[in-house]
Amino acid sequence: MSIDKLDNKKLVAFIPGTIVDVKVKVGQQVKQGDILVILDAMKMHNRILAPINSTVKEVSVKPGDRVCKGFIMVVLE
Amino acid sequence: MPLKNKIEELKKRKEEVLQGGGEQAVAKQVAMGKLTARERIIALLDEDSFNEYDMFVEHEARDFGMDGKTLHGDGVIIGTGSIYGAPVAVFAQDFTVAGGSLGFMHARKITKIMDYALRMRIPLIGINDSGGARIQEGVNSLAGYGEIFWRNTLSSGIIPQISVILGPCAGGAVYSPALTDFVFVVDKISKMFITGPEVIKSVLGEEISQEDLGGAKVHAMITGNAHFYSESEYECFEQIKKLITFIPWNNTRKARKFEPKDPKSIYNIGDIVPGDPKQPYDVRNVIRAIADDSDFFEIQEMWAGNIVIGFGRLNGETVGFVANQPMVMAGVLDVDSSDKAARFIRYCNAFNIPLCTLVDLPGYLPGIDQEHAGVIRHGAKLLYAYSEASVPKMTVILRKAYGGGYIAMSSRHLRADFVFAWPGAEIAVMGPEGAANIIFRKEITEAENPEEMRRLKVEEYKEKFANPYVAAAKGYIDTVIEPEETRKLLLHALEVSSNKVADRPFKKHGIPPF
Repeated sequence: MSIDKLDNKKLVAFIPGTIVDVKVKVGQQVKQGDILVILDAMKMHNRILAPINSTVKEVSVKPGDRVCKGFIMVVLE
Repeated sequence: MPLKNKIEELKKRKEEVLQGGGEQAVAKQVAMGKLTARERIIALLDEDSFNEYDMFVEHEARDFGMDGKTLHGDGVIIGTGSIYGAPVAVFAQDFTVAGGSLGFMHARKITKIMDYALRMRIPLIGINDSGGARIQEGVNSLAGYGEIFWRNTLSSGIIPQISVILGPCAGGAVYSPALTDFVFVVDKISKMFITGPEVIKSVLGEEISQEDLGGAKVHAMITGNAHFYSESEYECFEQIKKLITFIPWNNTRKARKFEPKDPKSIYNIGDIVPGDPKQPYDVRNVIRAIADDSDFFEIQEMWAGNIVIGFGRLNGETVGFVANQPMVMAGVLDVDSSDKAARFIRYCNAFNIPLCTLVDLPGYLPGIDQEHAGVIRHGAKLLYAYSEASVPKMTVILRKAYGGGYIAMSSRHLRADFVFAWPGAEIAVMGPEGAANIIFRKEITEAENPEEMRRLKVEEYKEKFANPYVAAAKGYIDTVIEPEETRKLLLHALEVSSNKVADRPFKKHGIPPF
């Protein structure tokens, strides 16, 4: 059993919201702190940042998408 | 026998105890990447300041073959010393002696130093590294834990109590750290749980490692049981030393005053908070732009990051900072962030540390999981803690302050002494979009172009209500200030509130929603 909350390769929506912008593509190299996605929720354009240096493995959102809490938006290698 | 020989004997006896559990056990401890109990105390305290007591205590167990066994110091070291000159009482469990297991005399040594710390009104630091109850001593072990918990509770709010988890701390033993003020954990060394992986497997059939169940990261990031996380024991000791500089010896004193220092010029307070309320930023930089030397000592950094808590100094005096963090979950209040801030506020109040609250939040987090997790009672902790706190309370509204969030974040109504707002502050019962949809529902639905009408009404609401002047007109805000004036005003507020009197009716204690 692993602990999802410590698994920093899956970027999930903390709260339900709307995707404003997707800054990365599959295969792209990212550095820790790079913006991956911007999620409009709770009166804020929340920046979803890369927690580690990695490569983008999956992107499952596009601008305008509504996502629910816990939705996996980006997966890193 | 001449005195000289007796001194020799004393030295010999001491030398023996200093071996701890012996060479093999010490080698095992080292192999686990851990320091020994004595090395820990030496590393933590000022040089040559440690004085040990009860070195020659021996256990009294007679059953299960225990009568023939010698356990040096009964597996725990107690004594007093100092940290940057401040006196502290310390105990450190010695895992090399019977796995640091807690027997009757072991517990009695711990309770002795706890009693001493309380009597002398000095901080208590407990280093935990123990396999748990000493099974051979049966109910006497349990009695020992109970005596420790009772003293933790008795001392709570009188002397600072610090727990350092440097090994296993399992079963009932974890409740002592949980009753103390600050818990320190170290990656790959600390393990805390009520029931370990073996019990979980046999009862529930679930398999999990010790690390994943109750390792340092779990408690620093998921449970919130730990307040400080570090990668090594030495880093952990530096954190403890720094904490000691921010807190007083006991609840009748103030924390030590330091030489005042201006914030560093790289933190330009006017440039940190974006004008657009939808843009996030790191509120810790606002704290750094305000605090002496831009030094902010954050607590529970990795847990409930949507609220930031920690110590800094204003004009040399320790201040507890509480701030919404817009860059984490939009800075919402929820179950965990309310719990985190409320406990910190009560700590500051108990130890005469003034509070400075920085406000920028959209409100409480909506959702089924939050409601069902009890956000009503957890959120209420924040209201309770702020209302109860009688230390000087200063509030700065940086940007958004809506609804229940506005009230909860040290508002005038909960008796903040000073409430300042920046010109970009938006103080209203709810955000413009939501409010316009309710107030102007009829106009919007009946309009030829509802979208256009909604936009116009949102604008109208924004202009009328999303500003600091409605609240300022009622005196709920004392003054609207430019960001650059913030530190100057906070220093002044602190100065004029140094003799604050906030008498409350007598009560045995309140009933906070915990």
